[in-house]
Amino acid sequence: MTCTETRDLFSALADDALAPAERAALDAHLAGCAECRRELAGLLRTVKLVRAIDPERAPAGFVDRVLAAARPEPARKRLARRLLAPWPTLPLGAAALFLVAGLAVLLFRGSPEQQQAARSQPPTPGPAVQAPTRETAPSTGPAAPRETGSSATTAPREIAPAAPLSSREPTAPQRSRELEALKNRVEQPALAEKRAETKAEPLSAPRDAAPPAEPPQAIPERQAAAPPGVVDGRGAKVDQSSRPQPAGERFSSGAQDTRADGAKDVAKERKLRQQSPASAPPVGAAGVVPSVAAKSQVTPQIAPLSRTGPMTGVPAAAPDVTAQLRVPDVAAAELSLIELAARVGGRQTGRRIDGGRVVVELAVPRDAYAQFVREATALGAVSIESQATDRPVLAVAVTVSN
Amino acid sequence: MREALGADPPGLLERLRAGEPRAFEELVTVYQHRVFGVALRMLGSRAEAEEIAQEVFLRAYRAVADFRGDARLGTWLYGIASRLCLNRLASPDRRVARGDAVLADVPASTPDAAAAAERAELDAALRAAIAGLPEDRRLVLVLRDVEGLSYEEIANALDLDPGTVRSRLHRARLQLKEKLERFA
Repeated sequence: MTCTETRDLFSALADDALAPAERAALDAHLAGCAECRRELAGLLRTVKLVRAIDPERAPAGFVDRVLAAARPEPARKRLARRLLAPWPTLPLGAAALFLVAGLAVLLFRGSPEQQQAARSQPPTPGPAVQAPTRETAPSTGPAAPRETGSSATTAPREIAPAAPLSSREPTAPQRSRELEALKNRVEQPALAEKRAETKAEPLSAPRDAAPPAEPPQAIPERQAAAPPGVVDGRGAKVDQSSRPQPAGERFSSGAQDTRADGAKDVAKERKLRQQSPASAPPVGAAGVVPSVAAKSQVTPQIAPLSRTGPMTGVPAAAPDVTAQLRVPDVAAAELSLIELAARVGGRQTGRRIDGGRVVVELAVPRDAYAQFVREATALGAVSIESQATDRPVLAVAVTVSN
Repeated sequence: MREALGADPPGLLERLRAGEPRAFEELVTVYQHRVFGVALRMLGSRAEAEEIAQEVFLRAYRAVADFRGDARLGTWLYGIASRLCLNRLASPDRRVARGDAVLADVPASTPDAAAAAERAELDAALRAAIAGLPEDRRLVLVLRDVEGLSYEEIANALDLDPGTVRSRLHRARLQLKEKLERFA
């Protein structure tokens, strides 16, 4: 037996699938060939590595979703769906798109103006309390005129840091306290994370709250692509043709259910969502998240977006995970990353510019890290440079570039 | 590696054929992880894997009356999943550049940070190497070394000659060995 013939049997040997005669011939050759023994050892190690991979598990709620999709639909609902078919998705999709685009423009073009306004604010006691709420923020003192072009969403970014100070004396010590408050504000998420971990279900609240108001369908991309007319296929009569995307078409109808069939279906979908954090909504569809996310998420999401905040240019402590994200649209990807972090129960902790590139710093619960990375890969090409996995909440620094 | 497929739950096929709703639920419950697992390894995207896995069960639901029962239910489902995955991979409108998604899994936590980092690196390299295999070889490798099917079960599921299974598996493993030389 030659070396080549021998090595062709290695794989079957690893599976104990050799005939006795083959095994005998193999053993005889190996006994006298050190190189083949080395090759065999390498192959066996490779097989062992592959077999050490943990088997995957279907996401929570999967069984319910399959059963729902297989359930025959009443004719009445089917008719209603046909009539409404083009409408549930198009306006919502368009609204989401405009909302995302609008937010991106406001947040990133508004920031320098906000910065200017904050700088020009005179150090007079004036109307002492700078309103911390969105309703009153745009009308606060001399800075207000510069803010008229900004939305209520952007205004608190500059105003909010002062909120913890009930009485404002713009003296030097007071300013240093303000700075301290700002610093605490950046650090608060981590503290909150620690507090949350001491409770029985640490991440349930942010996770429950994180999914957007629009239903996070299990198959987002396909839904968007599904033709509006193909919407009735949930039962046994479903189209069985060999079109390339039958599943996507069919499931798109399931997703529309949650919008068209009223509160009952929505409530059920929400329940499924809570059971199924792994089947989180698509990143692309999450543009509406900040406006509807849990209140606890609002502050950390909005405040660090400022380019002039205390975190600018100041790297956080050495991150557990350093990642590079290459995308066509840096600004949109940055927003999506922040939303994604919030959706998986984490938050943004900072932002800086490093060598002209945006670095988004995030705190991501370790339990949700896999989901975070998976969804981040939908934004663009991701490469992860280092990982340390001992902490329950990972500090993740993502450099976003195109 | 997942444990061996084993026998079908007793009477499940008959109850499925009789149209018992509970039987379908049991089928999905029992085989969901296997079907999802192979779809994820083949497609690299959880969303896409869930979509395909749902489609597998819906097809099984519709076709169970025609299922002759000459293979086990699990093997049959693996066969449907494999075909759907290969079709999806061949689909011209499928999104590209999903390869990075397979790097996303978290390595096991260990007290030793250096070991954890090393394990993470190996994990990423391993998954990338599997994702880089030609689809037909990857499928056989995943079914054998990740999902734990025997040669015969793979041959049944994919409607292949056992010799072809053995040969594809061998090539897949050799290719992996080359890519993982520095870890092995």
